Amino acid sequence: MSNSQDPVWRFLLPSFVFVGVFSLYPILESFRLSFYRMILTLPWLGQKFVGWENYRDLITDPVALGSLSTSVIFVAVTTPFEVLLGLAMALVLNESFRGRGWLRAIVLIPWAVPTVVSSQMWRFIFNDRYGLFNYLLFGDATQLYWAPLAEPGLALMSIMAADIWKTSAFAALIILAGLQGIPGELYEAASIDGASAWRKFRHITLPLVKPALLLALLFRTIDALKVFDLVFVMTQGGPADTTNLLQFYGYKKSFAEGMIGYGSAIAVVVFLLSLFLSVLYIRLLGTGLLGRERQT
Amino acid sequence: MSLKAGCRWRKARLRTILILFIVLFIAPLAEAQTQLRFVTWRSEAEQVWEQIIADFEARHPGVKVVQEVGPHSSTEFHDLVTQKLRNRDPQMDVFFMDVIWPAEFAAANWALPLDAFFSAAERNLFLAAPIQADTYDGRIYGVPMFVDAGMLYYRKDLLEKHNFPPPRTWPELVRQARTILAQERDPYLTGYSAQFKQYEGLVCNMMEFVLSNGGSLWNEQRLQSTLDDPKAKEAVRFVRDQIIRLIANRGILAYQEPESLALFTQGKAIFHRNWPYAWEASNDPKQSKVAGKVGIVPLPAFPGQRSAATLGGWQLGISRFSRNPQLAWQFVQFMTSSETQKRIALETGRGPARKALYHDPEILKKSPQFQSQYETFTLAAPRPRTPVYLPLSNILQRYFSSAIAIADSDIDQLARAASRDMDRVLDLLRDRRER
Repeated sequence: MSNSQDPVWRFLLPSFVFVGVFSLYPILESFRLSFYRMILTLPWLGQKFVGWENYRDLITDPVALGSLSTSVIFVAVTTPFEVLLGLAMALVLNESFRGRGWLRAIVLIPWAVPTVVSSQMWRFIFNDRYGLFNYLLFGDATQLYWAPLAEPGLALMSIMAADIWKTSAFAALIILAGLQGIPGELYEAASIDGASAWRKFRHITLPLVKPALLLALLFRTIDALKVFDLVFVMTQGGPADTTNLLQFYGYKKSFAEGMIGYGSAIAVVVFLLSLFLSVLYIRLLGTGLLGRERQT
Repeated sequence: MSLKAGCRWRKARLRTILILFIVLFIAPLAEAQTQLRFVTWRSEAEQVWEQIIADFEARHPGVKVVQEVGPHSSTEFHDLVTQKLRNRDPQMDVFFMDVIWPAEFAAANWALPLDAFFSAAERNLFLAAPIQADTYDGRIYGVPMFVDAGMLYYRKDLLEKHNFPPPRTWPELVRQARTILAQERDPYLTGYSAQFKQYEGLVCNMMEFVLSNGGSLWNEQRLQSTLDDPKAKEAVRFVRDQIIRLIANRGILAYQEPESLALFTQGKAIFHRNWPYAWEASNDPKQSKVAGKVGIVPLPAFPGQRSAATLGGWQLGISRFSRNPQLAWQFVQFMTSSETQKRIALETGRGPARKALYHDPEILKKSPQFQSQYETFTLAAPRPRTPVYLPLSNILQRYFSSAIAIADSDIDQLARAASRDMDRVLDLLRDRRER
């Protein structure tokens, strides 16, 4: 039994208040609003309780379903790439060589640059007239130049490339932390037993870095589901609506069109999807982290 | 330390804190009372703009105009301004409004009705189309600053070389472009440069094609979409099969105004659709390789139909949450005065909103194109004037982009779907009308 005299509660209170005000309240408010019909530009309609109507509209709205599948494709393609690239980078950065400190700092630059700035940079790179992308592919033969952001088949890939470039470093950072926790004796012992580099990687590194990998995967999945700024700067959802990711669609509904109820319903769906994936990953992660693995 | 010294030291500290307090908190408050916050976008002629604002400050001693510069894209600027309005931000007094927003801002109770300040006689001095756009439910919510309408720019030298008059119909434009492209054999030359990215500009461009084929986007009386009508679809199909496929490069599907203009000023496009400001930009030898070789005419139409130009332009509005509407009005009045509009017209080539300036000898000497543009401005077609314009625009953008970006798009089906979506949004207005 704890009473108010218990100092533990007093220490915990600030964080409870913080989470309550800045996380819990907005989430609950979004839930509440998603059951109302509220359109800012039509104030005479008032704020009317409509039950599940917004959600019913959502599952029959072909645009919303389209952007949901675009978002799923985006997450499914970018996260494995980011984690694999992150692993490769982390393995390199974990070796000892001259200038490692510098390299570790440099690798983090893409992640440290504000997304709006890097999106603008990628927009220039993919420009159909003076873009670096075209220059690398075709050199001076400018009549062959592509317009990746104008092609329905390429625009999403361009955005994915920008996202992978930017966030692989973040995955590398988490994985590097995991690698540094692996005791060196294990490798020494393996060397004495004559294990090859591949076997060391397969049987020591990989199992022990698994929790970090899953953690990176978790963060990247949730983040990728919520991508907004890349689309906002690079394509505004076009061409032919092929880059209209779910979060961007929700933003447009809420903020540009003033459809607060419907926009909130989209936000709730994104939230529930992230929550579901988080729980899924944390269950996987939990077994790894707590060492409740089958062999022990 | 003795007791006395400690006391003196404490007093000194108290005084310092007091002074700091005054400097940090009281002084800015006193200043804030005469501060006027103007949310704007970056102008092409910044020095002129700064000079005009400095003149206003000189005439109103003690007033400081603080400019908050937002993004240039209309859509992004809308998000910035509406966010401030939604939060009832008293910091913003005066703001720019795109010609499509007044109905929305009025219905949402965001913009201040200006009837008390802006008399009917005064309104008559402005072009009718933007005044109509600024009016909602019988009240006026903005004062027109610039007026815009789509125009066709062309390479005079190239057309003359190939013995073509400026095109009057769209098929003629395509024919001319194809002939010139085939004979010039310049791999970098493209026939048509305009704004076809999925954004607001796409609606403007496509509306011109649809209207100049005798079609329309909606029926205002019946509150119904007319996208599914054969004439509207025919125009969309023409853009996909002839403009995009035959004479433009694919990159056009990602172009907004700056990219499309750059292509033209670099001498890489034969025809170019843009707003009036492009005249000044493409004839400025410092930034254009085709200065002096540019012609301007009203946009073509389909055979047997009339040319159509989308009405654009910017208004000054006052926030309902401004603490100083009187001063804000003085600023708006100054910025839209004949004198200021003339200065801006002379420097930037943007179309002024006051009718009389189109007969001003000084302006016509500097920008003779205004003479012919005047008619286009008076006939320019507004986009749907309704508080739900933004949702409609997003549906239109999605539809047009899907229809033209994919070579074998099913235009019939896309138009049906877009029409249905538009009708659902328009139904929201029906409720009010029936009340």
